Amino acid sequence: MDIFQLQGYAYFGLVTLMVVILYSYIYHLYSSEKKGTKDFEKYGNMALNDEIDDAPVEKISKDEKK
Amino acid sequence: MENRPLEYDYTVAKMFMLTTVLLGAVGMLIGVILASEMAFPGVNTMLGSLGLNEFTNFSRLRPLHTDSVIFGFTLSGIFATWYYVGQRVLKVSMAESKLLMFLGKMHFWLYILVVAAAVVSLFMGITSSKEYAEFEWPIDIAVVVVWVTWGLGIFGLIGIRRERSLYISIWYYIATFLGIAMLYLFNNMEIPTILATSPAGETGIGAWYHSVSMYSGTNDALVQWWYGHNAVAFGFTVPIVAMIYYFLPKESGQAVYSYKLSLLSFWGLMFVYLWAGGHHLLFSTVPDWMQTMGSVFSVVLILPSWGSAINMLLTMKGEWQQVATSPLIKFMVLASTFYMFSTLEGPIQAIKSVNAIAHFTDWIVGHVHDGTLGWVGFMIMAALFHMAPRVFKRELYSKSLMGTQFWIQTLGVVLYFTSMWIAGITQGMMWRAHDEYGNLAYSFIDTVTALHPYYTIRAVGGLLYLIGFFMFAYNIYKTMTSGRRVEESELQSASPMAA
Amino acid sequence: MFHWLEKHPFFFAVGVFLVIAFAGLVEILPNFAQASQPVVGTKPYTLLEMAGREVYIKNSCNACHSQLIRPFKAETDRYGHYSLSGEYAYDRPFLWGSKRIGPDLHRVGDYRTTDWHENHMKDPAGVVPGSIMPAYTWMFTNLADINTAYADQLTNAQFFNVPYNKPVPMKDGTTLTVPMAKSVAEANAMALEEAKTISADMKDKDVQDMVAAGKIPEIVALIAYLNSLK
Ligand code: HEM
Ligand code: HEM
Repeated sequence: MDIFQLQGYAYFGLVTLMVVILYSYIYHLYSSEKKGTKDFEKYGNMALNDEIDDAPVEKISKDEKK
Repeated sequence: MENRPLEYDYTVAKMFMLTTVLLGAVGMLIGVILASEMAFPGVNTMLGSLGLNEFTNFSRLRPLHTDSVIFGFTLSGIFATWYYVGQRVLKVSMAESKLLMFLGKMHFWLYILVVAAAVVSLFMGITSSKEYAEFEWPIDIAVVVVWVTWGLGIFGLIGIRRERSLYISIWYYIATFLGIAMLYLFNNMEIPTILATSPAGETGIGAWYHSVSMYSGTNDALVQWWYGHNAVAFGFTVPIVAMIYYFLPKESGQAVYSYKLSLLSFWGLMFVYLWAGGHHLLFSTVPDWMQTMGSVFSVVLILPSWGSAINMLLTMKGEWQQVATSPLIKFMVLASTFYMFSTLEGPIQAIKSVNAIAHFTDWIVGHVHDGTLGWVGFMIMAALFHMAPRVFKRELYSKSLMGTQFWIQTLGVVLYFTSMWIAGITQGMMWRAHDEYGNLAYSFIDTVTALHPYYTIRAVGGLLYLIGFFMFAYNIYKTMTSGRRVEESELQSASPMAA
Repeated sequence: MFHWLEKHPFFFAVGVFLVIAFAGLVEILPNFAQASQPVVGTKPYTLLEMAGREVYIKNSCNACHSQLIRPFKAETDRYGHYSLSGEYAYDRPFLWGSKRIGPDLHRVGDYRTTDWHENHMKDPAGVVPGSIMPAYTWMFTNLADINTAYADQLTNAQFFNVPYNKPVPMKDGTTLTVPMAKSVAEANAMALEEAKTISADMKDKDVQDMVAAGKIPEIVALIAYLNSLK
């Protein structure tokens, strides 16, 4: 197998992988919002309530910060 | 002292705002000079009596234009907004960390040094010849240091944040940082010639700053346009999208229309952009399949680009009266419109048969400037207009001046790209025209003189844009020095402006 | 997984980097070996040509002139045979350009002469009425940087195995050897010899005096380079 064939397979494989990842991401976004496990739109408020004493949309808790 | 409430610290943001305005003015002034030189070649030698022809002619100045608007104006704008937006959406102040403050200031001063070195060396004709990567190796190394300093600042700030999730703008800033880092490093691989030894044993021969590219010929071109295209992506698109995702919602008081769409567009853009570089080398000697991929991915690129742009326009849904009343919103809405426009035009030019005509002509230059003037320029100016009242705690000096500037510059952009379209297509068609005997219909010079009227119109358009930029600079200056002082409570969403 | 990425900036950054890096890897690397093979008839630049190439770069001639003839009838009629990848094997950096404000120069050596270039560089609009190219008068007085060109040649030979002092095949079946000097002094002497053959065809008195006095103005080197573009 010469290098160009390898390149072709690598290209095809990687693109397929990326497409799968991208689509599962879309699925993840919409399904987790439907199931109610997650609300993505609330993150939009990060830009609006951005004074330093505004409450964070999601606070960082101490034990989680490594 | 101890009890003073914590505030965001805009010291570094202010410094970069200054360079945004200064380098923007310089770069665009040079742009207007270039445009005049193409319309009236006599301008090349205007300073001849002073013996300065060598430094004022078109070819020596052109890299100064591109580098000062890209690495001066645009990059400063990116840094200025980062040091502003970054703190706010992470909800942490730079005043909270001495180290980050120090890094920020160091970042600025190193940047100034690099700018100075770059200007001097380009005037002297010290260049590697690669577009947007003209600097020789000593400056390249300094650029890397500046970039790493910025990166440490970004990740440092993220490390001490209060907000757990990263707002979409931060994603785009991170991508800018990483993308440029990778591209710049690979494209500028070069061997300094002082490392060579002659057979007689002499070393350090010739100019110490000179270097030889690691890649040759076709490979060099491939790497260069992989860089060139993506430098556009990560310099003119990604960070500007970062800005609009913050400033438009904030100024209008409307949250992003769909946060999910913004996430999707982000990954889509990251994935597709890198493949599209091949469209700069269509019909060249790089392998065919790569050219085809360049074309195909360029067309696919419309999707994530429009994803972002439409998201922005829909953010204004139900609030369109703001577009009419606020010049600041006007700037941003027009910016996203021009973004849609140039991301539609780009893929069209990337289609092989269209590119056969468009490549090497002024149509490309038209495309470049509807993107840069309409999208990049407008968005950065809007960002600075939004930031000014907040960092100086003063009202914007004049709303009517802003309005006038908006229309003057819009007219300038329209004159610029329409004239370049016509010029480009005219030239592309004339180059390929054959007469009935199968001979070329025009000599090359015919295709140059035919463009004179369009070059003149472009110079006028460019001048209008430059005048608008000076109005912008004046407005910011007056805001800083004599705007009415405002209270925190006036700064919630729409920026305060004096009539 | 996705959710987790959004909250961990470090891994997020790694993810972004992978996504943007992989295109480059697949796209660029495999073609490296193949594209850099010179075609028959391509030879390394001589010292004066190299110095001239640096003058070309110093003045960003590539801002207005391409060196890439695309495979269309209109282009081959105008500029000659379309460009081949291997012809650029010794071009570091490449000088394809991205804009044709002026015509392509990849084969300008085939149809222009020393004499023509001399007049044209001094007064473009005098030679081609209507030309918007600036006059490059300072090239007639500035001296070419031979030492740097020599260092350039050495770097090419030592780091990239460019075949100086080695026979390279020519189109007519013969071979040709491009010599490279052994020391800086020899290099300057060699460049001067080359310069004399160019300036012999030039009319400018000052240029001839300079060359006679052992000095090489930029214009002489530049013309040597332009003549080599075939
Ligand atoms: C979907 C998005 C886009 C695509 C597919 C695209 C495509 C293209 C194509 C085909 C060229 C011409 C290459 C050639 O023949 O020389 C080009 C050049 C260029 N584009 Fe775009 N474009 C896009 C968006 C943008 C945007 C938003 C900007 C800037 C704000 C931009 C800035 C440039 C620049 C600076 C060049 C000139 C490069 C050079 O020749 O030096 N592009 N683009
Ligand atoms: C007053 C405004 C401006 C004027 C009059 C102007 C004029 C020009 C001219 C005359 C050229 C040379 C075109 C050629 O080679 O045929 C040019 C190139 C270029 N300008 Fe501007 N410019 C302006 C603003 C800007 C801004 C704000 C940016 C970026 C943020 C920009 C980016 C570029 C780039 C990337 C190129 C190279 C295009 C290419 O290689 O295809 N310009 N400009």
